[in-house]
Amino acid sequence: MSREGKEYRRIAVFGGIYNNYLALEATLEETRRRGVEALFCLGDMGAFGPNPDRVFPLLEHGKVLAIQGNYDQSLATGLDNCQCGYTDPRDNHFARLSYEYTFKKTSPENKTWLGQLPTHRRVRLGQYRLLMCHGSPRRMNEFLWESTSPNCLLEKFCRDFESDVLLFTHTGIKWHRALDGDRHVVNVGTIGRPENDGQVNVWYTILTAADGLQVEFIPVHYDCETLTQEMEHEDLPVEFIETIQTGWWTTCLEILPSKERARGKF
Amino acid sequence: MTTPSTPLLELSTLWIQVTGTWCNLTCTHCLNSSGPHNPWLKSLDTEMVTRYIKEGADLGIKEIYYTGGEPFLHKDMLLLIAHALEVVPTTVLTNGILITDQVADHLAALAQNSPYSLQIRISIDDVDPDKNDRIRGKGAFAKAVRALELLHNRGLLPILTATEILRDELPEGRGMYEQFRDLLLGLGITKPRVKIMPVLPTGRMEREGGPLLTPEMLQGFDFSLLQCSETRVVAEGGVYACPILAGLPGARLSAKSLKEALKPCDLYHTACVVCYETGMTCKN
Repeated sequence: MSREGKEYRRIAVFGGIYNNYLALEATLEETRRRGVEALFCLGDMGAFGPNPDRVFPLLEHGKVLAIQGNYDQSLATGLDNCQCGYTDPRDNHFARLSYEYTFKKTSPENKTWLGQLPTHRRVRLGQYRLLMCHGSPRRMNEFLWESTSPNCLLEKFCRDFESDVLLFTHTGIKWHRALDGDRHVVNVGTIGRPENDGQVNVWYTILTAADGLQVEFIPVHYDCETLTQEMEHEDLPVEFIETIQTGWWTTCLEILPSKERARGKF
Repeated sequence: MTTPSTPLLELSTLWIQVTGTWCNLTCTHCLNSSGPHNPWLKSLDTEMVTRYIKEGADLGIKEIYYTGGEPFLHKDMLLLIAHALEVVPTTVLTNGILITDQVADHLAALAQNSPYSLQIRISIDDVDPDKNDRIRGKGAFAKAVRALELLHNRGLLPILTATEILRDELPEGRGMYEQFRDLLLGLGITKPRVKIMPVLPTGRMEREGGPLLTPEMLQGFDFSLLQCSETRVVAEGGVYACPILAGLPGARLSAKSLKEALKPCDLYHTACVVCYETGMTCKN
């Protein structure tokens, strides 16, 4: 794990672009207005949406500091599955459709670029030691849902990985919890897919070290209509398109724990 | 032949075999030969379970599963679920027979009051009541369905859990998973959750002379695919390597604590081959 030690006061962090280059574009624009010092992406550039290669120039142009997610690792190493960590056949069915499409449509150059990304990143935000990862500090594809991440585990992560703030994504639903001793864990959410609450916007996170740590979840509205047209054009599953149009998850639902599943429509 | 072993990569999942092998059913395929008479593993007392929950939380576990036997036969089961939910997400594996309106109300309140998810798994082995009851006992299907409905009506989203014991009797057409989903949808359960497990060669399905794992088979193998690399089980007699082999002397790692059981375990049983080949997990 690299220790960069670079210090910031205010940063933006997002995860799960899922080929949604329009949401990425809107997020980059939105962060510019808010005056952050650096942008970080916690991985999974591909999946779900159309035209994967449109994401990479935006990341480069926006000077986004990225780490690798499970999708990125799979694409870079030529695996035949996305390593999303699903266990249910219905979840795996849709994950396979999405991965096959993304694998086919991602250029060799971009796969190589994904392969050289680090799996973790450490920075300082004011007095806080931040550790960024994709799923969890111990496993790239571990799901840390709010209702299945107990304090005893999160405190152990902070201790074992010598961090004050843990940042991760992978599940697709944002949350923040303060632990004893001014330590924090934040699922920064994803910008590639709405978060199963009936709203079509997506979310990213701004962290500011001021008087304590401020964690702000920022909604991003983007051109969903163009995205759905492109998804239709690319023959992506109607279930994916429905999610973009309605804000309700229709696939990869079985992995949801009961509390998170109960909040959704399906 | 040398018996291979699995390292403990992390202790993430704690199973508690709270009623030992004491059950109100005598399923023909039960992996630990549970039943109503003379259980070969006894129930755990409340104080001991509470102590292990605390030890698990101190070690930073991620979740707890209660199993048996039938967990709801334990006189303090609701209290023990409450204790677990204070510190970690919790799952209960049950046949549903003892889930009455009152118990379902209590479970719903526990789920509501915890920040962590409570997941209830209800066992059914076929969508046909007669075929199911041939395996699980007379009336088992109707009572399990009632439990599914009671929990669903309270927003608890139960998980139907089936084994593949009747897979060979499946009619042509839709697979087992789809049939169970259809059953749940037909009951008005709009968020159907289904988990299917292989049949394990243990308990009432134990046969002499099954295959065993060899060190050669494990060369280069990703041990994180075996649940014994991240799981420990508390049952009468101490701490064991996995929920399938709980209570068996060969799987026992400590007589007294989780901490002492944080060490490699032998892959000595023919059931280990099932996990090795299928990558299956008893988790949700």
